[in-house]
Amino acid sequence: MQEPEHSEWSGRTDGTPFMQKALIVLFKVVPLEVIYAIMALVVPFYMLFNHKGYIAIYHFFRLRLGKKPLSAFWHVYRNHYAFGQVVLDRFATYAGKRFKLTIDGNEHYQHLNEGEQGFMMLSSHVGNYEQAGYALVSDRKQFYALVYAGESATVMSERGKQFVGSNIHMIPVQADMTHLFCINKALDDGNIVSMPADRCFGSAKSVECQFFGAKAEFPLGPFATAVQKDVPVLAVMVMKTSHRSYTAYVRPVKCDRALSRKQQMTALAQAFANSLESVVSHYPHQWYNYYEFWNGERV
Amino acid sequence: MEELILKLKKEIIEVLNLEDVKPEDIDSNAPLFGAEGLGLDSIDALELIVLMEKNYGIKLQDPNQGKEIFKSINVMADYISKNRTK
Repeated sequence: MQEPEHSEWSGRTDGTPFMQKALIVLFKVVPLEVIYAIMALVVPFYMLFNHKGYIAIYHFFRLRLGKKPLSAFWHVYRNHYAFGQVVLDRFATYAGKRFKLTIDGNEHYQHLNEGEQGFMMLSSHVGNYEQAGYALVSDRKQFYALVYAGESATVMSERGKQFVGSNIHMIPVQADMTHLFCINKALDDGNIVSMPADRCFGSAKSVECQFFGAKAEFPLGPFATAVQKDVPVLAVMVMKTSHRSYTAYVRPVKCDRALSRKQQMTALAQAFANSLESVVSHYPHQWYNYYEFWNGERV
Repeated sequence: MEELILKLKKEIIEVLNLEDVKPEDIDSNAPLFGAEGLGLDSIDALELIVLMEKNYGIKLQDPNQGKEIFKSINVMADYISKNRTK
């Protein structure tokens, strides 16, 4: 039971283990804003060397948001800067710093959290989803996050330290598909399973959705899982709103359960895409899929 | 056993929506996953886990055990006949 790796994105945090550990130490002695300022100077070089990612985000602003060339270039810079901020925030959190997090739509989470049934939380590569782990904490259920198994040892180790003693567990995606048994059991036991729903990893099967006015492929896996296990679904997008604060947007993802199973999977995917578009429209600089996301723009 | 194998093939075709496949097209000894057999992937694997539970009352929770059971239709049918509660 082997599955192919994704060819368009590496799925891991950039930087050598030494650089990542040095960042954690740095945050213990240097204010966050100073590190942001240094990063702002580095961003143009990153844009220069990350040419494929640069072009993909340029296309996002030009073709999907209708920006003019110079304006799109400026927005690409802001996008890379915002991405740098959330990566730095992640390491700042590992160093012990905390951010203020406001939850918009918490009632949807609490309603499902109080029930006996398991449910799914779908993430995406926008904002800083990891911050949700520090705020959307359940006192009744275990939280299982499906993660890319190729993430660096430093990130996995530091992430693990943050959640020691908590009810948060990581399920790495394995080529032999053992992660599926963990997902199945977690949902059967009434727990929460979180997984990314904007990139294909594991199964290569996808579903075409209308997204920002054009067709894009979303992974079938998360939506198939929700239909197969007949569990409710939430979309959770955690967006950076200032240097020291984030807002988590929690949105129910629903479809007509009278539809066929296959139709339900497609409808759920489209409902998720709609929620994602609604939030990303307000935070376009926090869209972090650095590859050609839309079908017509792939080269 | 033959009856169970045929029933299992029909159920798999239905839940996995294998529109162009007939029960007789499926080699009972062929691997279910990978290019050589039916070519199923992880989404289909979860569907099979759910099928085992709903139709035969078998809860598969040990990943290592699951990998063995899903080797082929024959292996699945053998496991079902020995462990079914429905």
